Amino acid sequence: MLPPMTFAIDDADVRAVLTAALDAGADFAELYAEQRRGRNVRLDDRRIEDLTSGRDRGAGIRVMRGAQTGYAYTNLLTRDAMVEAARVAAAGVQGNAKRTVADLTTVSPPVVHPVAEDPFAVDGRRLVEIVREAEDAAWSVSGDVRQVTVIWADTSQDVFLANSEGTRVVERRVRTRLVAMVVAARDGVVQTAFQGPGAAVGMELLRDHPPAEVGARAARQAVHMLDSRPAPAGELPVVLAAGSGGVLFHEACGHGMEADIVAKQASVYAGRRGERIGTPQLTGVDDGTDVGRWGSYSFDDEGTPAQRTVLFDQGVCTDYLTDRLRATELGIPRSGNGRRQSYAYLPIPRMSNSYILPGDDDPAEIVRGVTRGLYCDDLGGGQVDPASGDFVFGVDQAHLIENGEITHPVRGANLVGDGPTVIGRITAVGTDFGVRQGICGKDGQGVPAGLGNPTLLIERITVGGTG
Amino acid sequence: MSQDDLLTLLDRVVDRATNGELVEAYGIDQTETTVKAYGGDVESLSSAQTRGVGIRVIVDGGVGYAYTADTSEAALAETLEEARVNASVATADPANVLAEPGDQRNLDGLYDPRFTQVAADDKVGLALALEAAATAADEIKGVDSATYGDSDATVAICSTAGVRGAYRRCDAYLGVEVLAERDGTTTSAYGLDLRRVAEDLDVDAAAREAVERAVRLLGGRKPASAPVPVVLDPYATAAFLGVLAAGLTADAVQKGRSLFAGHLGESIAPAHVTLVDDGTLVEGPGAAPWDAEGVPSGRTPLIEGGVLQGWLHNCHTAARDATSSTGNASRSGFKATPGVSPTNLFLQPGTADRDALLRQAGTGFYCQQIMGVHSGADPVSGEFSVGAAGVMIRDGAFAEPVREATIAGTIPQMLSGIVAVGADLRWLPFGGGMGGTTVLIDGMTLAGA
Repeated sequence: MLPPMTFAIDDADVRAVLTAALDAGADFAELYAEQRRGRNVRLDDRRIEDLTSGRDRGAGIRVMRGAQTGYAYTNLLTRDAMVEAARVAAAGVQGNAKRTVADLTTVSPPVVHPVAEDPFAVDGRRLVEIVREAEDAAWSVSGDVRQVTVIWADTSQDVFLANSEGTRVVERRVRTRLVAMVVAARDGVVQTAFQGPGAAVGMELLRDHPPAEVGARAARQAVHMLDSRPAPAGELPVVLAAGSGGVLFHEACGHGMEADIVAKQASVYAGRRGERIGTPQLTGVDDGTDVGRWGSYSFDDEGTPAQRTVLFDQGVCTDYLTDRLRATELGIPRSGNGRRQSYAYLPIPRMSNSYILPGDDDPAEIVRGVTRGLYCDDLGGGQVDPASGDFVFGVDQAHLIENGEITHPVRGANLVGDGPTVIGRITAVGTDFGVRQGICGKDGQGVPAGLGNPTLLIERITVGGTG
Repeated sequence: MSQDDLLTLLDRVVDRATNGELVEAYGIDQTETTVKAYGGDVESLSSAQTRGVGIRVIVDGGVGYAYTADTSEAALAETLEEARVNASVATADPANVLAEPGDQRNLDGLYDPRFTQVAADDKVGLALALEAAATAADEIKGVDSATYGDSDATVAICSTAGVRGAYRRCDAYLGVEVLAERDGTTTSAYGLDLRRVAEDLDVDAAAREAVERAVRLLGGRKPASAPVPVVLDPYATAAFLGVLAAGLTADAVQKGRSLFAGHLGESIAPAHVTLVDDGTLVEGPGAAPWDAEGVPSGRTPLIEGGVLQGWLHNCHTAARDATSSTGNASRSGFKATPGVSPTNLFLQPGTADRDALLRQAGTGFYCQQIMGVHSGADPVSGEFSVGAAGVMIRDGAFAEPVREATIAGTIPQMLSGIVAVGADLRWLPFGGGMGGTTVLIDGMTLAGA
């Protein structure tokens, strides 16, 4: 299953670091150390343009007193360097508590994400072949294909965490991803398409997503969109295909449920727990325990076990996503969502995999019920202002719905609205389910985030189009 | 680590190169401090020390890269070996070249010796003062964040081609995002001040900017759809320059991903429009004596007198086009190979201030926030439709605020619609240094409900 962990910091060093961190009178101290390997193969313009491999490592020491945090990190994993960083972190939070370091106990993981084939047992030559397979398949789809980019990325992150309360956690997180981007052009019309399956698994990712299929799918999508017309503008019913709408839920609802944003009254969902905001058909969760998914883990980056948290229960605003700091501040449980990009950052509340759960409606029936609307096969990136809930999403691939049928492809659409209004307009939820993968950015930190949804009908939303 | 120490480290890597092998070592040693204030107290104080080396190897035309955060002799040797292995399976390409040694001079003013004299308490004081100044204003319910940050970075490069240099730069900034509230609805906006050292930062200016921009949006509603003149505020202009920049790199052009490809020498904007990239402008966030491959920074006119003049190059794209690098190789730290991106990109400022541009527009839309510019603007086709918030302009002055709007058009339309560029150039750190100026553009489509 998992390759053996070789990364740990011995007890004596941990005690020395945590003791130094508590020395200035803080309530809590934590050592987060990691060692990470990563590889990236990028094929572009018919060439293997970039083949990078690397190792990063470091330790971050966090010291807390009430709502105050001191943090320092170092690339050097020697006891002296870590103790020095602990002193720097402690200087930021003077107090008069006389805490000592509790005996360390290793916590066993609530869930593991098995890796069948260790990517780092596979050499660069094999990775080049994989990327080439996806590329060849993309070019062979059509003479209209103009450019193919394929990226393979894998990482293996070994985390070691220990805190002054005696929690000790080790975890190896392996993630793999294959991305294909294709540009197609005909008669002056240029269209791009994207496929990017990824998961918290090893090389077995390619069993579910053979490289040739990933490349060909992106190419077919780009070529298909060459026949598109400019999207209509105005308020329309919109059907989001299974998997395509998770990003909307993530941006427009998930971020507003993160407890730091709630605590600062910067969320449109602040103070609204127990209130019905969405339709009764809508249930949304954050689930870090879904085995092998892109945003899954065993522990968050504070050593709290991963969990499944209900955000909206049949439309009712339910639980916020917390880290240690915000759970304490708001007096609610830790939800296992304290995540960080690396040892260089403080943990903050983040989603793991945010899903809208399947409902009772037949996906085909949902489409048949729409007289004139937009069918979104894939949304692009989006942006949201958590304070107002206002969002904008680009639509990568869409079709018109005319008299209950999916008809012509349309391009250049985006969806504009605000989270609370939109989830109050989800009037049909399919029995199907699909996932996507993203890198979510917040406060300058990027972390892998999984997205998922069934086929959804938004009865009315503003479509910004050019047609 | 001093510039000399870092260079010595890199020399040892380059000295290991074998015959026929090109090796380049790039190193960074950086110290950063971030202080966040909230609720009248320090929320967090972070101190960071990052060091790392990236090694590029070219063997028989194939290029490989490897990096390490462990700069011990053994780790560097292992990393060099990994880069060699990576190079051996890469595609051979005669355009894989290292920079030739140029003028590795320093750029005066990138480092200010006052930087090290700033006490930790003063940094904390700035963050606290920033929050206090922002929250003192009417209709402000709080801040989302109020941050003081600074960085002291030493960068060095050495190669078997004979490039060898190091420089040091320091930066300090204040950033605040405020939340304004009226009748139960909330708006937010940023204010920013970037300087070389803490003592030159202007707390009140950063706070005032955030407050003015957030309060201005209060009570916003969806606008009626109409083609209107649009006045972009400096932040919105900087965001659009980022989209333009993507199409002006030689990399995008060579790979068929630029809407500007094939239009060199053509008029693509009115004659008063000049767009320049200049890495030697020391006050810009993208300033450096030389780029990520060691090529000296320079001034590259991209649009001059409305005519498309050229592209941004690194050594690879330049070799493919049989031209010279413009000094636009970039990397996001030591973990990445050099790409191509702007340094300090800006529209040559005009003479009108913002109020004059509002008067000139008469009726129109003052666009203050762009949302979804990276998903809503297609750098290949040039079509875009992005979310926008701002204020309507009536009788040459600010009128009712607007939210949940979109503005749509194409990049070529937008460029040819530039009526006037404001005099108010300031630098914003959006993917390099982007010049924020107020810009009046004709013929865009504003859409609401």
